[in-house]
Amino acid sequence: MTASPKIQKEIIESCKAGDGKAFAEIVLHRQKKVFNIAYRMLDNSEEAKDLAQEVFISVFESIKDLKEEIKFDAWLTQITLNHCRNRWKYLKRRQYFNSDSLDDPIETEDGSMPRAIYDPSDNPEILFEKKMIQQLIQRGLLELKEDQRELLVLRDLQGFSYREMGETLGLPEGTIKSKLHRARMDLKEVLERFSH
Amino acid sequence: MDCEKVRDRFSSLWEKELSPFEEKVFKEHLSSCPKCKREFEQFEKTMRRLHSVGEVEVPEGFLPELYKKIEEKKGAVPGEKSGGRWFHFPLSFKLPVQAVAMVAIVFLMLYLTKMMPMEGDRLKETKQTSSPLSVQEKPEGALTQREVKEERRALEPTTETPRPKDVEQAKAPVPGEEKIEQAYAPQVKGEVKKVETPPPTSEFMAYRQKESKGVAKEITPSPQAGKIERELAVPEKSFVASKPPQEIILRISDREKGISRLHELVKQFGGEVVTAEGDRFLASLPTSSLSEFKKELERLSSSVKTDQLLAKKHARGSLGFEQGAKREEGDEKSKGPAKLAAEMENRTIVRILLVQE
Repeated sequence: MTASPKIQKEIIESCKAGDGKAFAEIVLHRQKKVFNIAYRMLDNSEEAKDLAQEVFISVFESIKDLKEEIKFDAWLTQITLNHCRNRWKYLKRRQYFNSDSLDDPIETEDGSMPRAIYDPSDNPEILFEKKMIQQLIQRGLLELKEDQRELLVLRDLQGFSYREMGETLGLPEGTIKSKLHRARMDLKEVLERFSH
Repeated sequence: MDCEKVRDRFSSLWEKELSPFEEKVFKEHLSSCPKCKREFEQFEKTMRRLHSVGEVEVPEGFLPELYKKIEEKKGAVPGEKSGGRWFHFPLSFKLPVQAVAMVAIVFLMLYLTKMMPMEGDRLKETKQTSSPLSVQEKPEGALTQREVKEERRALEPTTETPRPKDVEQAKAPVPGEEKIEQAYAPQVKGEVKKVETPPPTSEFMAYRQKESKGVAKEITPSPQAGKIERELAVPEKSFVASKPPQEIILRISDREKGISRLHELVKQFGGEVVTAEGDRFLASLPTSSLSEFKKELERLSSSVKTDQLLAKKHARGSLGFEQGAKREEGDEKSKGPAKLAAEMENRTIVRILLVQE
């Protein structure tokens, strides 16, 4: 997880002037970041793709209003998170996540039994260990509060600095650190619960 | 350092933010507290897993799809822009337009609120005109209806003038009268204009005066005529006497002398006395000698008064002539064969009323 190279100020200015090539360059530079944030926040590839495209449409429509080009990345992340929040609410209203909740018991012929999450650490030799870990983390993230998930995604998955997070979320670094620690501890609790 | 404080610094130790002294104290606590040690091991495990999660590749065709979506939005833009264009106009343009629109709305509201009660009144008026109890009132709509009814009544071949309440009944034609009309219609046609229409009864006249007061140009009876009507209000048994075309009141001081003189005058002008009932006489006279006959009667009488109204109607070319003629048509139906024969010979029926002074 390496920080994306900064987009040159000229490209942003060209995009603001209506240059299509500059816009395409911005998309190519930032599509992975936007898509991954969306994917980790929503846990669905199709929803994440659609959301990421919506984010870039918003950028295309409102980049002319961006006053400080230097804050483009923070602005882009804010747009992405706002879209994620709205989509999360929308999907939750439609009970999109309820159908596949980890806490739901599994219905069997002998009755219902608690859902057991496979912990790959118990069997390190398994071929798809990494993929299993990813699934476990993703499920664990969905169990957290939305703002906690945001902090973990930005810091631990996307590698944001505390300064960047402060710019994006509009919070002081100390607050971000304490909140982030609480989110990590909660995720630990969730993963422990999964393995038992 | 207590357990709570140690657990709060798990993230700081993981990110290597603790000072060497803090790190030393922290590790000493972990070695002495198995609960905190276990907690920290779980925390490290979680963080390792979290950081092992790699990035997901963007699905193929992301950018082309994005362009497609932008194009679709652009297609929908014109409608949105035309709707949103208003918001981009300057206030110097928007405010006057909004003010004018407000004034227009206020005027429209006033117009509508003024119009609505009038519409209601009109409806009320219409209802009143349709009500038979409202005949005493004279709204315009009702008046026109009344006029029509009176015209109809004038055309009806009735022997008695109907009262207002009997208008509808009077409209129904009597079968016997219809037959007479059919039988004599061709013969009567030529003579009908000469025949005088019967005077309306005093009751009916009073009603008509009330109804058409100052509005309709109905035939308004003169004061003299009114007097005659009242005098003739006594019901008459003979149908011939009840339909005299012309009436003359003969005021005399000596009754017997007057009667004999009247008979002489009738004979003198080539006529004949058809009926004589007390002081009422019905005489048939040649139309040509009628005026002379009247003059002689005037001399005879201390005051001879003829019905001016009927005289007017009798005059050819007058306004009331047509109506009078129509009434005469109705009268013709009830006339006897003798009377018709007299008319065929160009004669006029005159009713003479003797009044002793």
